[in-house]
Amino acid sequence: MIELTHVSKCFTMGKSNQFKAVDDVSLTLRRGKVTILKGPSGSGKTTLLTLIGCMARPTSGRIRLYGIPAPGFIELPPTDGFDISSLPERFLTHIRRTTFGFIFQQFNLIRGISVLENIMLPAYPTGESHAVFHKRALELLNLFGITRLAASQVELLSGGESQRTAIARALINNPDVIIADEPTAHLDSTLSREFMDIIGGFKAHGKTVLIASHDPIVYESALADMVVDMRDGRITGTGRVS
Amino acid sequence: MNSRVNSQRNIIDYAISSLLRRKIKNLSLLALYMLVVFVVASLIFFVQALKREARLILGDAPDIVVQRTIAGRHDLIPADYSRQIAAIRGVSNAAPRWWGYYYDPNFDANYTFMVPPADPPKKGTIWIGAGIARLLRGAQKGYLVPLRNAARKTMLLEVVKVFPADSELVASDLIMVSPDDFQTMFNLPKGFATDVAVTVANPQEIVTVAGKITEQLPGTRPILKSEMLRTYDSLFDWRGGMQVVILSAALLSFIIFAWDKATGLSADERREIGILKSIGWETTDVLLLKFWEGIAISMTAFTWGVILAYGHVFFFSAPLFEHAIKGWSVLYPRFRLVPTIDPYQLAVLFFLTVLPYTAATIIPAWLAATVDPDSAMRS
Repeated sequence: MIELTHVSKCFTMGKSNQFKAVDDVSLTLRRGKVTILKGPSGSGKTTLLTLIGCMARPTSGRIRLYGIPAPGFIELPPTDGFDISSLPERFLTHIRRTTFGFIFQQFNLIRGISVLENIMLPAYPTGESHAVFHKRALELLNLFGITRLAASQVELLSGGESQRTAIARALINNPDVIIADEPTAHLDSTLSREFMDIIGGFKAHGKTVLIASHDPIVYESALADMVVDMRDGRITGTGRVS
Repeated sequence: MNSRVNSQRNIIDYAISSLLRRKIKNLSLLALYMLVVFVVASLIFFVQALKREARLILGDAPDIVVQRTIAGRHDLIPADYSRQIAAIRGVSNAAPRWWGYYYDPNFDANYTFMVPPADPPKKGTIWIGAGIARLLRGAQKGYLVPLRNAARKTMLLEVVKVFPADSELVASDLIMVSPDDFQTMFNLPKGFATDVAVTVANPQEIVTVAGKITEQLPGTRPILKSEMLRTYDSLFDWRGGMQVVILSAALLSFIIFAWDKATGLSADERREIGILKSIGWETTDVLLLKFWEGIAISMTAFTWGVILAYGHVFFFSAPLFEHAIKGWSVLYPRFRLVPTIDPYQLAVLFFLTVLPYTAATIIPAWLAATVDPDSAMRS
């Protein structure tokens, strides 16, 4: 479970162009469920994803992770949650690497290297043996039906193939939580539905999924356990809590 | 421990793959980098080897060479000065020497004439260096060399010996003659020599003996072996210095090029660093990646530059430098230098090339890597 309490995020604090991207958000994301953050551009969805995914720290408020093994430096029983709001970057990176898998709007694949290498990238600094995560990457390629593309350069991939590569990369470290930011923005309807099918597979495997999207295929999907409406950095409504 | 090693190995793997992605940029950088290391290392090897040769040659030189000066200029010395010098306490031997230079207009070359200290060639015969033999189109024993003497008359001197090639560094332009032929050749006044070579039994007394010579024989100038060694050292240093000045331009352009290439992270590289951070790489992981990239380029360039320089100097006798620093004569000696490497100078070269480049690679990466990982979400 991920619990947010009065979380706010301000940019360019103390300057004339100070901007509050997330404003006093309190929210609970349940383990193994699919949560959709819905709202127009500039509503604070992406910023909220970066705060939950340990990419940035909130200006105020608390974010606690429950049921996720705390990193070695936090001595807590695994059942107790721990606060990630003010952890140093090193620790946040550790949590980000082990707990979260990210799927970006632009896919953010690294050009010039192969599909297989892109998938393995998050595992390089973990200290795991190359042979072990190489095998896992091949399994993921197989799972998403892109084994034949293993040696291809990513710039030669179609939108759907890039999407699958990005999803495989998000899963390489076997994270508990999948975070996706506008994952269907560059996909047609068929590919968007295929993406949601993959999300259904994650849910079936007990992964927690958090998606920011204003695509009806996503937020109207039967897979969504909770749809959170956002506008101007605030939550304006919550629906379909099952 | 295993996990740290794995992590390093994985990052090194990615560093190599990352370098291969930008082949043209990195290969051009590597080639230029290697060229600079090659030229500077060649120069270091060459100067060191020449200095060593000079020290070896001067090892057999007399402890003191006594010259006579008139109005501050070198003049012929009376040969019987050697007897007076030999009488000074501490002197074990003093002998007059005859040597000089001869310009051969036919070949536009200068020869060094000398009468050997013992067992000189018979009158009418000469011993010649390998450089002269080459100049005379393979002159061998029995070859008659026509030389014009001071009275503008031609002297025909018969070659009875050609010095072996391994003495070429000192004997390339040398002609050894008999005292009579030397006298006739240069119209030398009887009873005069070029200088006097003095050997002192106790090296501690060399300075004292030199003092006594100037005291007893006014107008003479004793030159100590240590002074000759120092002169040779400064001569090679000066010549090396000249090269360094010329090469500093090349080095400077390399530094500017390397700085530009290494520091100017492209938009793609910045984007890549953002992505790596967003998918769980720490700032230190990114720095390690850039460090290994820098090390791979600079160590490859340094190693190959040094190896090529070694071959250039010690196997091919530095063909790129010989005209600049081997001497002013047209009779360039052909010789193979004995490999001599000064670890200190190599270490200096290493620190002047590898470290600045590696630092130049890491600093901009560090600046880029300290950005928040959420920048990738917004790209």
